[in-house]
Amino acid sequence: MASLPVVKGTLDVLVLRALQWAPMHGFEITSWLEERSANALEVEDSAVYQALYRMEERELIAAEWGVTENQRQARYYKITPQGRAHLKAQTAQWLRYSETVTTILTAAPKSA
Amino acid sequence: MKRRLFKFPWRTARDIRADVDDELRFHIEERTRELEAAGAAPDAARAAALREFGDVDDARRYITDLDRGTESHTRRKDYFGELRQDLTYALRKLKSSPAFTITAIVTLALGIGANAAIFSVVNGVLLRQLPFPHAEQLLKVYSANRTAGNLHASVSPLDLDDWRAQRTALTDIGGFWYSDGQSGIDLTGDGDPQRLSAVYVTPGFFTTLAVGATEGRLPREDELVRGGNDKVVVLSYGFWQRQYGSSRSVIGTHITLADAPYQVIGVMPRGFEYPSERVDVYLPYSTITDDMIPRIRPVRILDAVARMRPGMSVAAANAELNTIAARLAAQYPVDAAWGETTVVPLRDDITGNVRTALLVLLGAVAFVLVMGCVNVASLLLARSSVREREIAVRAALGAGRGRIIRQLLTESIVLALAGGVAGIVVARAGVGALLALSAGQLPRGSDVHIDGAVLLFALALSLVTGLLFGVVPAIQASRGALQGTLREAGRGVAGGARRLRSALVIAEVALAVVLVVGAGLMTRSFMELMKVDPGFRPDHLIAVNFTISTTRRPKDWQQYYHAVIDRLRAVPGVNSVGATKDAPFRGNGERDSFGPPGYVVKAGEDPPTARTMHVSDGYFQTIGARIIGGREFAATDRAGGPNLILVNEAFAKRWFPGQNAVGRSIEMAPTAIAGKGAPAQIIGVVGDIRQTAMDEAARETIYENNMYNGRVKVALVARTAGEPLAMARKLREAIWSVDKEQPITSIETFDDVVSGSMARPRLLTVLLGSFGALGLILGALGIYGVLAYLVNERQREIGVRIALGAPASSVLWMFVGRGLALTAAGLAIGLGGALMLTRLMSGVLYGVKATDPLTFAGVGAILLAVAALASWLPARRAAHVDPVVALRSD
Repeated sequence: MASLPVVKGTLDVLVLRALQWAPMHGFEITSWLEERSANALEVEDSAVYQALYRMEERELIAAEWGVTENQRQARYYKITPQGRAHLKAQTAQWLRYSETVTTILTAAPKSA
Repeated sequence: MKRRLFKFPWRTARDIRADVDDELRFHIEERTRELEAAGAAPDAARAAALREFGDVDDARRYITDLDRGTESHTRRKDYFGELRQDLTYALRKLKSSPAFTITAIVTLALGIGANAAIFSVVNGVLLRQLPFPHAEQLLKVYSANRTAGNLHASVSPLDLDDWRAQRTALTDIGGFWYSDGQSGIDLTGDGDPQRLSAVYVTPGFFTTLAVGATEGRLPREDELVRGGNDKVVVLSYGFWQRQYGSSRSVIGTHITLADAPYQVIGVMPRGFEYPSERVDVYLPYSTITDDMIPRIRPVRILDAVARMRPGMSVAAANAELNTIAARLAAQYPVDAAWGETTVVPLRDDITGNVRTALLVLLGAVAFVLVMGCVNVASLLLARSSVREREIAVRAALGAGRGRIIRQLLTESIVLALAGGVAGIVVARAGVGALLALSAGQLPRGSDVHIDGAVLLFALALSLVTGLLFGVVPAIQASRGALQGTLREAGRGVAGGARRLRSALVIAEVALAVVLVVGAGLMTRSFMELMKVDPGFRPDHLIAVNFTISTTRRPKDWQQYYHAVIDRLRAVPGVNSVGATKDAPFRGNGERDSFGPPGYVVKAGEDPPTARTMHVSDGYFQTIGARIIGGREFAATDRAGGPNLILVNEAFAKRWFPGQNAVGRSIEMAPTAIAGKGAPAQIIGVVGDIRQTAMDEAARETIYENNMYNGRVKVALVARTAGEPLAMARKLREAIWSVDKEQPITSIETFDDVVSGSMARPRLLTVLLGSFGALGLILGALGIYGVLAYLVNERQREIGVRIALGAPASSVLWMFVGRGLALTAAGLAIGLGGALMLTRLMSGVLYGVKATDPLTFAGVGAILLAVAALASWLPARRAAHVDPVVALRSD
């Protein structure tokens, strides 16, 4: 199956979701996305980093240098309370949106 | 790499780039390793990792930009967070030591308040623009006669007309005649008859100032010239309010001025108070007839104002006017010596004579503030040695030196701002008191109030003050904190702080010396002024000012004049009565030419001039002047006889040195045409009378008999048996019993007149005196504080000394000596500084040099005495230290 392009605006939510349980560095996040989507999403790694910095500026996430398991320096991202709120709101909105679109697209045609 | 282990508050642009590079490199390397682990060849793995990543450069650019934004945002947030922390902490600390806080705030409030008050005066009088559009283009213009040494003469109306007609680069020029108490006009037919204060203006006056009427209109050019319809009047805003209740319906109506109908055509805007706030009406100068003031070139009577083109220099304006004046001098022989002009920016002209006084005050008050700062700094130093433990704890908990300094500075700035707010309250009161004290002596007094500029000044002053007194103690305290260990901090810093406090005391004494010298000089000057013999006795003397209308009495006004004098002489309680055109301090008389005996005017030469006063018989006896030789005018010296005159002592000494002037004749008003003048015989010499002001020596003066050569402006002076003001009503009624229509300009006692003429020096003396006293107190407090602290600190040592048998007196002297040593050092510096600085105030001193050795010596003695007292109090405590208690303590 060919991979899907990410719908505009949803990458931020996906990254926030990745950070929901534990802080991660950038590489972990890209790996997490690949794994969860079973490679179905077409995401360039650079786009993930851009999303990370964008959200850092908006204070949805915070960054801090830390050390990886194999003793390397890496920049770790963690979700902020604002980020959590944003994730919750965006998730709810996405679900309603996709449900609505699905309903429309799958409904039987009405006679005029 | 270590850098990354901490989150440093500030990252540079380079740090940010490095961070981004590190992060991206890490990602590529991790992915490459993963692919290699899955079996890819190293090169292929890296290429795949890069491909998957996308455009690396673009991503780097994008996220670097973002990170920069994030960084500055964080910085700001951190800063404000810390600031809030510092503020909370500062407030808590200040609240916990109220005695210190209140002392500091009161000291600062006085300093800042006094500065803001003086600044608001300086701002209103010297700094703020005049209330005219583009006021910087306005000039005051004078006629100048270099041979006579008169560079600031008024301008002849004829010359002014020519200047205006021949000007090329000046935008406009106009003139006016205004003389306080003299240029007036009677208003009748509208309530009580009253004398209005009038400005007579020429074409160009209003257009030069470029201010329009707020109601109605201003006169057209054709309404300002003779033969035109010039019976028009413009009201000042104040007069419009007072007389007509600001009613618009007065515009267009006719009022009776000097028994003639004038049409009210306009009202000047509020705040237009040029040339004086006392002006009631503006009238065309053309309404003044030749028999009032002859319209000839030698009669220089107008004040002239000119407006420069935008961007034109004062020198260029002067050059243009000089060219025209030189042309006129060549054209008209009577103008021959008047081929020049002097121009001065209008603002300097208005404020010129108070400038020095205000700047001296500003300087003095700044010194007071600096002393206040030094005192508070000294207090802070003492406090910081108490707080060393607290600061050391903060340092131990990881606060950096910069952070500690910032915390301490926040505290001092909070203190200074509190002082500033309280200072504004002080300033408000101060400005009120200043204006009351200055009693009309300030030009533009109505422009003085606390406004945005003053508040801004006070705020800036508070911030600077806070830094000034906070920075040294803060650095000192933080150094101590980082040097010593928690336990030992006390001893290590004490030496440094002590040296610093000694230096502060020396500075303070030096500043106090300068202030006290300034105050001393001003006091001496004022005392000199008080000693001046004005040449008359102001006690029991009262003046009634009025002007006789020649329209109502074209022929018999001189008889009327004497009828009034005679009627007043008959009033019970009045000892004697005389009259003059200009009473002392209320006018400068006229300036007339004359010729000494045998003098003949040569062509192209101006005859000498002297001040000319017009007085009645009995005038000198009434005001209590001394007749040195001959006699004064008698009631029998009437018109028709020979012209008899008196001269003053200065005149007699100048023109008849070593001779008796009485009985000699001089020529009055000789002209180039007639050659000789009219002969006048000197019948008496009168002692010099100060006519203009207390601090201005008498000029050579000729006194003419009012019966022979009269003036309609009258100042009747009466010497009363009792309290002069109590006679005011009787005198007024006596005048009205001769003519019930006679408007009276004013009635005033000479005690008030003299006191008013002393108002400015008195104000300066009071202010500089209080600044000096404040300086002395602050200096004494400084010395006391340092010694008291020293005594406290050295309790143990003193105890040991006393226990070992040192007599109390040696302990006493140890501390007094230290205080005096500091004072001597400060005194030396201060006297040197005062010697340089007080020269700047020579302009406001009378009868005393700025380097007056007596004042300097006196100040030295006073300071030493005060310092001795301030040292003796803590030293006495030291001498009474109980060794047992002292050794047991700590």
